[in-house]
Amino acid sequence: MEYWKNENEPIQAFVKLFEAAMIDDELTSGLKKVNQLILFDYTEDGPNCCFWMDCRGGNLSVGPGKPSEEPDMTMSLSADDAHRSWSNKLNPVMAITRKKIRVKGSAVGLLKLAPKLKKVAEIYAVILKDLGWEDKILK
Amino acid sequence: MYGNTGKIIVVDLTTGKIEIASLPETDYLSYIGGSGLAARYFWERGNFQADPLSAEAMLIFMNGPFAGLKLSGASRSSVAGRSPLTGNWGDSSCGGYFAPELRYAGFDGIVLTGKAEKPSLLVIEDNAVCIESAEDYWGKGIESVNRSLKDKFGKTWRNLIIGPAGENQVKYALILNEAHHAFGRAGFGAVMGSKNLKAIVVKASTKTMTLADPEAFETLRKELNPRIKEALASDVMRVNGTAANLEGGVYSGDVPIRNFTSNFWQEMAESLTGSTLSEKYLTHGGACAYCTIACKRNVRITEGIFAIPDGPGPEYETIVSLGSLIGSMDLAAVCKAGRICNDLGLDTITTGATIAWAMEAFEKGDITAADTDGISLIWGDMETVIDVLIPAIAARTGKLGRLLADGSAAAARRIGKGSSDYTAHAKGLEVPAHDPRGGGHGLALTYAISPRGACHVAFPMLFMEMGACYYPEIGFEYELEPKTDENKAEAAVIAVALGSIENSACFCQFADREITIPEWVALFNTVAGYGWDIDAMMLAGKRVFYLKRLINYRFGRTAADDTLTPRMLEPARDGEPEGIAINLDAMKAAFYRLMEMDPIQGIPTQSALIACGMAEEFEHI
Ligand code: SF4
Repeated sequence: MEYWKNENEPIQAFVKLFEAAMIDDELTSGLKKVNQLILFDYTEDGPNCCFWMDCRGGNLSVGPGKPSEEPDMTMSLSADDAHRSWSNKLNPVMAITRKKIRVKGSAVGLLKLAPKLKKVAEIYAVILKDLGWEDKILK
Repeated sequence: MYGNTGKIIVVDLTTGKIEIASLPETDYLSYIGGSGLAARYFWERGNFQADPLSAEAMLIFMNGPFAGLKLSGASRSSVAGRSPLTGNWGDSSCGGYFAPELRYAGFDGIVLTGKAEKPSLLVIEDNAVCIESAEDYWGKGIESVNRSLKDKFGKTWRNLIIGPAGENQVKYALILNEAHHAFGRAGFGAVMGSKNLKAIVVKASTKTMTLADPEAFETLRKELNPRIKEALASDVMRVNGTAANLEGGVYSGDVPIRNFTSNFWQEMAESLTGSTLSEKYLTHGGACAYCTIACKRNVRITEGIFAIPDGPGPEYETIVSLGSLIGSMDLAAVCKAGRICNDLGLDTITTGATIAWAMEAFEKGDITAADTDGISLIWGDMETVIDVLIPAIAARTGKLGRLLADGSAAAARRIGKGSSDYTAHAKGLEVPAHDPRGGGHGLALTYAISPRGACHVAFPMLFMEMGACYYPEIGFEYELEPKTDENKAEAAVIAVALGSIENSACFCQFADREITIPEWVALFNTVAGYGWDIDAMMLAGKRVFYLKRLINYRFGRTAADDTLTPRMLEPARDGEPEGIAINLDAMKAAFYRLMEMDPIQGIPTQSALIACGMAEEFEHI
């Protein structure tokens, strides 16, 4: 991994990112519209390197590891590409076309997040700073 | 001949003479089918001096080699000839159900010249072709004529119909199949109208086709159809239509607003996006023949002044052209405006763009109530658009209807006062609903160099800049950054060949993104037995592009016409692309060089033509 020392680091950052996103006024409504249970799967970088986000039924929650239920959608990629993605430095369409991102299930809900990626990246930069990982912020 | 039938119907509507003609296999090998084969036919037999709306003008419908083969997205067809809107080579692609039926009847295409004495109907039933009176249908909207034709001939007969706009030779009149699927662009509905031809109907009694290698094709088909169906983009479009990502487009500055004066309108994004259409008005989806993507929409609006019964709904281009482009974010109004355009037979893209230009001209005082019969043109005033403007254009009535019925470029020329500067077109064809300042600068290049004018589907540049293309076998590994000119000329070289292949094969660009280059070659070989390798296929694509450029040259077009209007070259005023201007000249210069085209004449050099096996074509210029 280019950006992470171990498989726990990315999950720590991403879970915190979405905990913050879920209380952000601009992002909350978009996240609720996703209306899916999503597994972000980075297990190519470690067996526990994954987290889930539950946006179903108007409730929002996020946690490390695999969800207890079958996800509606699984997005598999490397933890480095996920870092680029949440930093808004990875074109998701291009990454999917080139099989850097593999999607199982419907992406209809996730498309609702596409316009908000810039905002997500802003929050992500703050989270990285809070974690003392300023060096990981992609310019 | 395999795959293709090699036969076309040639009709002289003046004399009523109908012939079944054969096309040489070499024409298919060199120009594939669809708009490429149509260009070849026009090059050999078309009248380059004829006004597009005169009896001498030629109107060509041409299938691709895959029509009717139950392959997702592959059963579209092309209409082509000289565009009455632009005076250039024009072609337009349509999905729906006409192409397979024509193929099953035994034909690859239909060529029409002349002018019928009375409103007419061309009837094709297997090998039998005849002309009947259409006087009962003349003056009627497409929806009712579609119903009447279904009643008269039967539900399984397929049709192409023009509306009153085509009859009145509005220069951007369309042709509809089954009252839903459009040959939208470049005004071929007006050409049909000028020939007094209201409709074409076709029915085949068998579905027999002879393929070069049926087993190999079947294996490929069984692999491709599920892949196309299950692709992420297909799933998204099946659920929310082609406007599924409109909201994302607004945030990147791709969606044009108020005649391209803005690249960002936050409230509009959610109001007009595909998921809103699904939630509020969608009754059911729909598909072109054999397509597993099924991106089409059917909508109903039950209450309010924009109520409409269940029927065809708008796709992305219509939503933007009759929505944000004219200052509206009222999705119900957009649905109704689109429905009326369809029924009257108007291309929604040029209709929206022409109205948008008029609204800006009115706001600026360049046109006044004296030019509009007292009608005020106000951004977003959809009642006026629906009740007054669209009907007036289709009927060519009143000062305003007459002014706008020839498109924005002609209207601006008539008004003067610098109003051409804020038209949005290339070579007279209005820019579709992707603003290249936000959508991608390569798109500006391909709008400019496209033979038919500003077009987002002539070549797959939009998809390339989005990141949806990866073709290492032909050198397309670029990671394009949309809002720059970097590598855009290089990408455009591949895009023009690939787009020419797609449009000549009459394959839907939403479906064929899932097909690899070796699979494309295998499709042509297993179906039509072309015996191509990748280079031969790409050369055919390049040849088609070159030929269309040569046709335009014979119409008097040169490299000077490969441009966009000043409005399109202004730096974006707001949104994500704010302040960014497009460096069109540099991209064009590089493109001509890479394509071995003369930068003044805008046509391929003699050596480039010879290298493509087009020495004979060079002799004609
Ligand atoms: S994707 Fe849509 S437009 Fe293309 S062939 Fe299928 S239904 Fe028709």
